[in-house]
Amino acid sequence: MEEFFQQLTNGLAVGGIYALIALGYTMVYGVLKLINFAHGDLFTIGAYLGLTLLVSMGLFDKIGPLPAVILLAVMVMILVAIIGAILERVAYRPLRQSPRLSAVVSALGASIFFQNAIMAIYSPKFLVYPHDILPKTVINIMGLDIPVMRIIMFLTSLVLMLALYFFIQKTKIGTAIRAAAIDQGAAKLMGINVDRVIMLVFCIGPALGGAAGLMVGLYYGQINFSMGWMYGLKAFTAAILGGIGNIPGAMVGGLLLGVIEALGAAYISIAWKDAIAFCVLILILIVRPTGLLGERVAEKV
Amino acid sequence: MKRKLCTLGFLTLALVALTLGSAWAKTIRIGLMCPLTGSWASEGQDMKQIVELLAAETNKAGGINGDQVEIVIEDDGGDPRQAALAATRLTTKEISAVIGTYGSSVTEASQNIYAESNILQVATGSTAIRLSEKGLPLFFRTCPRDDEQGMVAAKTLGTLGYGKIAILHDNTSYAKGLADEAKSLLEKEGKTIAFYDALTPGERDYNAILTKLKSAAPDVIFFTGYYPEAGMLLRQKMEMGWNVPMLGGDATNNPDLVKIAGNKAAEGFMFLSPPVPADLDTPEAKDFMAAYKAAYGNAPGSVWAVLAGDAYRVIVEAVAKTKDTASDKLAAYMKGEMKDFSGLTGKISFNDKGDRVGDLYRVYKVDAAGAFVLQP
Repeated sequence: MEEFFQQLTNGLAVGGIYALIALGYTMVYGVLKLINFAHGDLFTIGAYLGLTLLVSMGLFDKIGPLPAVILLAVMVMILVAIIGAILERVAYRPLRQSPRLSAVVSALGASIFFQNAIMAIYSPKFLVYPHDILPKTVINIMGLDIPVMRIIMFLTSLVLMLALYFFIQKTKIGTAIRAAAIDQGAAKLMGINVDRVIMLVFCIGPALGGAAGLMVGLYYGQINFSMGWMYGLKAFTAAILGGIGNIPGAMVGGLLLGVIEALGAAYISIAWKDAIAFCVLILILIVRPTGLLGERVAEKV
Repeated sequence: MKRKLCTLGFLTLALVALTLGSAWAKTIRIGLMCPLTGSWASEGQDMKQIVELLAAETNKAGGINGDQVEIVIEDDGGDPRQAALAATRLTTKEISAVIGTYGSSVTEASQNIYAESNILQVATGSTAIRLSEKGLPLFFRTCPRDDEQGMVAAKTLGTLGYGKIAILHDNTSYAKGLADEAKSLLEKEGKTIAFYDALTPGERDYNAILTKLKSAAPDVIFFTGYYPEAGMLLRQKMEMGWNVPMLGGDATNNPDLVKIAGNKAAEGFMFLSPPVPADLDTPEAKDFMAAYKAAYGNAPGSVWAVLAGDAYRVIVEAVAKTKDTASDKLAAYMKGEMKDFSGLTGKISFNDKGDRVGDLYRVYKVDAAGAFVLQP
């Protein structure tokens, strides 16, 4: 039983990251009906920018670990948000009126561009965040050994997700985003600047992805230019699992995918971990074609 | 009309000049297929730098029998599909032989393409057994085979006195081959295999796997995969507060392992490998290391890239001795007449299958400073 709970925490830690990245996929899909394949690479950019800022500014020595991490996260999120906005302006806006397939191709192209740009700028080698900048304390809760950083990481992703949820549900801009997601034409007629809404979506999604990249960098330490592919794929799956276009769905899907993976690895086979996760995905989609929490998509497609 | 004739004349002249030109300075083109991108990119970049350096030296010394050498490089991306494309491209570039590549599954995807085009292939880091069991007469490798490594692994684990062993691989043809080999040898010796499974390479979080491993309570973990995953395993193992010793296969031999894991987590990690570049003691190796440092400012990362240098030297030697670039002649020379050619990594001879003959494996241990120390 102890192993079960240990694996559950393993799964939740991974799932938190998946969920955070999945939000970017799901938000863009909700508003534009576009799968932003470059999203995984924005996550990678977050990890690399975090490393560059961390090393070049030496924040940890100057202001201590906690303020440094917060400041770093804010800077990375802003920078990745800007890159996301530029991506939208350059790669997606010109194709807004063209068939959806063209935008998908453009997204794939952007993904390849980012990946190769990171490789050209930072070298193809594995880069490593400095060791020992974060506390390595492990606490024991009811017989489970859990690193403190893991709890902090999980809580941070929860806080970010909840903040986004309330932003979308309770604020005026959030309402505008939801309106644009339901019907762009009608939203325009109601005086909503849809272009600006889309730009905003392309700032928020990548910012969360960038934050996830920074967290992965800080916690796992090792980053390389192709890491976004694997995380992107899993997060995309998580978004579909929860119902793409649906924000709580992305959170639930991400956490669930992480847990399924960990438990599948623990009780069936490690080598079949991904296969098990995808089988569960297929089963869920057979029973609920719109994903766990998704409803709107069925009407659209 | 006059103008047309004029053009025609010029064209003919140009053509004649071209053919004459190429007949004058014959260049010997040697292909290099290596992972310049992808997760093994650091190996591939080193391979490229080493082969280019050696080729520049050959050319400065007057080439092979007066012919200049040209290296044609294609990126296999560490990916079998991309390797098949890279190999097809190389076969159209009039190369006499090809060097490469690093990963066994990647080499496997390219083998038949070179064989069909009659191009001699010298693999550098591909240790999977079956690569040389296919009866391809033009396939060679400068690295040892996994059955030898499996034997050394079983022996080492025996000497260290471990009885309950966990084996973890990553489902690549190389890692799985080695894991299977070691497993059957260890079982024959009556050891308990407490755990046998594969992880997914390229991930960041291996806690689920480590938790499962821990519940199997092995005396030692034998990981046959590559260095990025080994580094993450070591790091997360330490964070879990679990102190089980870990032994790695030769693909964990890369300084990035220590960078990823951190000195503290990597300390005590052991791996099997042909000698690392710094432990190579032949005069050729010392000259080469000095030249490499002068050219690129640091030592090559791992021995695998140096084996690409050996592949190059073997091909050059064969071309020089046979005064020919026909693949079957080169292959016949390498199998029949090349005996104890002094390579960068020691003496090189090949058997009938194209495998390198000799005992290459050593046991290394990572010390507190993160250096790889040769174990006696």
